[in-house]
Amino acid sequence: MLINTVILFLRDALPILVLVVYLFAHLSPSKSWLLICHVTGAILVLLYINQIQTVSQWFDGIGIELSLWFFQFLVYLLALVLACGLTFFQFSNRHFMFWVAGLMVSLTIVANGSNFILYFDGYLNQSNAVQSMLLGTFLGLGICLSLAILLYFAVRWLKQRVGPRATLSLILIYVTGQLVNALPLLVQVDVIDASATAWSSQNLVSNEFEFGHLFNALFGYQASPSIAQVIVYVLAISIPLSISYWLKPNLSTHEGNK
Amino acid sequence: MNKFIVYTAIPLGIVSYLFCIPVLAAVSEYHIQLKDHLFFPSIITIPANQKVKLIIDNQDNTPEEFDSFSLNREKVIFANQKVTVFIGPLKPGEYTFFGEYNPNTARGTVVVEHQIREAPDAY
Repeated sequence: MLINTVILFLRDALPILVLVVYLFAHLSPSKSWLLICHVTGAILVLLYINQIQTVSQWFDGIGIELSLWFFQFLVYLLALVLACGLTFFQFSNRHFMFWVAGLMVSLTIVANGSNFILYFDGYLNQSNAVQSMLLGTFLGLGICLSLAILLYFAVRWLKQRVGPRATLSLILIYVTGQLVNALPLLVQVDVIDASATAWSSQNLVSNEFEFGHLFNALFGYQASPSIAQVIVYVLAISIPLSISYWLKPNLSTHEGNK
Repeated sequence: MNKFIVYTAIPLGIVSYLFCIPVLAAVSEYHIQLKDHLFFPSIITIPANQKVKLIIDNQDNTPEEFDSFSLNREKVIFANQKVTVFIGPLKPGEYTFFGEYNPNTARGTVVVEHQIREAPDAY
């Protein structure tokens, strides 16, 4: 149970922190933005959990998978809106960008946070599991926060060396990875067919180990991705980057790029 | 304009193909019971290279999460409810699964073999 709790944090909390770090490093919002995002996300996830048994019955029992995939798809679209606004239109309305970024964080909290609540709710029924669960929580949270802080400084350094396009690319890679991670949800309820495995790098970096979870959170690493996942990944990254390169905009020097 | 059409039509076509509604071929069903935080049966054998349907019946009064790294499946099963999870097509081998809320007890294995002609119910 202790190990399971730590793994839960690596699998579900780390992606939330990675997104927050990327957005914080790129946009440099205020701390109140951070608080508002998390409070909004917490409220939304509680609402979602409150209705989850109803949601689970939608569309012949595939409601949860569809909704979780839809959240990740929305986050991907919002990332494109954010990139467009910052890149092409040189948006001077920072508040709109912060709203978009905040919505991305809130939706990610809903998609990943729901697992937390279900998990802890399941364990709280076992009185002998509370101590392991608490210890696992502290360990998992500590690991995730440490990684997030290191990542923040790395991303800030990258932004200063390469420019804001680098951090925007990191955000795009992140949201693409999360979108691709959600594809197996559709496969397991037969919305899309499973395709053959493209390759297996289980021997190099397994999904079950620490680096596997870290790489999964950073760029959607899968040890044995399906061909469909690879295709969607490549398209979801290459199309926006191609359009961006094709239009060759002047990247706006918005606040935070000093 | 032509470039725009090429850049959008081809990727949209590929994505649409991936998301086409699956052909409604008959899919074998396998039943698993979850009772007292144990899977019954704990080992099921399915044919290789075929998609199959697992129907998991949680007969406990607490929720459980059917989880498997090797199968890449994760599904919450609320108390006294059944869920359906599709797996496969899989290559021959053994694929483990477990209940995330009770990993020490709720464990099982999917054994994938060639040359299984029929797909009996698992119990």
